[in-house]
Amino acid sequence: MDVLLTIPDPEMPISIVDLGLIEDVQIQSGCVSIDVLPTFVGCPALPMIADDITRKVGQLEDVENVEVRFIYDPPWTVDRISETGRLSLKTHGVTVPEPGSGATKLDVPGHQHPGGGGEGSVELRTSALPCPFCDSRDTKLESQFGPTRCRMMYYCNACKNTFEHMKKV
Amino acid sequence: MQSIPDNLKPPFTDLLLAIADDKLMLGHRNSDWTGLGPILEEDIAFSSLAQDEIAHASAFYELAGELLGTSSDELAFGRTPEEYRCAAIVEVPDDFDWASAICRQFFCDEYDMLRLKRMTISNYTPLANLAGRILAEEQVHIEHSEEWVVRLGRGTHEARQRMQKAIDRLAPIALWLFEPFDGLKSLIDAGLYPGSDFDMYDTWTTRIQDILEKAELTMHVEIGEPDDKGGRRGVHTEHFEPLLNDMCEVYRIEPGVAW
Repeated sequence: MDVLLTIPDPEMPISIVDLGLIEDVQIQSGCVSIDVLPTFVGCPALPMIADDITRKVGQLEDVENVEVRFIYDPPWTVDRISETGRLSLKTHGVTVPEPGSGATKLDVPGHQHPGGGGEGSVELRTSALPCPFCDSRDTKLESQFGPTRCRMMYYCNACKNTFEHMKKV
Repeated sequence: MQSIPDNLKPPFTDLLLAIADDKLMLGHRNSDWTGLGPILEEDIAFSSLAQDEIAHASAFYELAGELLGTSSDELAFGRTPEEYRCAAIVEVPDDFDWASAICRQFFCDEYDMLRLKRMTISNYTPLANLAGRILAEEQVHIEHSEEWVVRLGRGTHEARQRMQKAIDRLAPIALWLFEPFDGLKSLIDAGLYPGSDFDMYDTWTTRIQDILEKAELTMHVEIGEPDDKGGRRGVHTEHFEPLLNDMCEVYRIEPGVAW
């Protein structure tokens, strides 16, 4: 586990452990088998993550073989990000939905009201989202899409910074 | 259900290919806007949509591939046109008209949410798990397209006119999303794809009319029993083959190529 903590996510400034990707590690006489939960289905960073794990764990003493499996059950949710991970992301200008708000299999997200007309989901989301730099809540959604598939863009009217917010999955 | 009985395999793989093919083609159409979006945010949005749709298509191809004994690449790029199951709405070009791109996205996103919801209660666990996961990822798609429909509808005179024109042109084509295919009823009866297409159509039109009302736009369509076969049964629009040839060019030159 210690070595996994040294592996950063290719697209996030935290370790794959703090991001909550590691579901299970099994060790049987030199063979290490690791179950990894992708954040998003078919995330393009998966081959890099598998390579990093295989290489770093493979260098450990007594390890002969490393197997990395990507599994979708249980699903990864933002709730799996550790407290350390959340704090670290915040200093890098990335906020994470409140713990407990991640989507689960039982709680399938439904339709929400459109926000384009000046009322509805955009405003609701905005008012609840503090800026990671200055903690102001005077922020607005710039775009539901961002630099990677798991992030959205927000703008803080108070400190004039853009910041990223992880999609609520 | 952890395995699919042999007699249900053809319609079930048709269902998986229908969603995968819709997503692959839509994702490809989305990617046309990369570098050409009307504003930077939308350039990024449509590029992200393309990534999402193609990743989701790939996951459904994998499920289908396990049942058909083939690979997701082979399914995505290695079939003849009549073996594809996508609907007409993802085949037609948007001619780089922003209103058409938004309108298509809106019709497809609304349909996709309902189809995925039905899949989440499938008794085939691998499908239910995947659909639940993808539904969560697609939540922002629907917010994005609904917001744009309202924004354009309530926008300038030109924006509103172009949006209405796109709806008038694309709504009849979008109805082909609901084309029934052979064996669909057997999937419903077996609990593999629970629910009813009629209910789904009602929910789809109601939701669309609600948003269009907010956008001060209108849609007049009536669904009937299709006279001819459409994409769900392998008969495609004239736009499909050029699109497919474009997508498959590299794969056909060197099958199995990795990039």
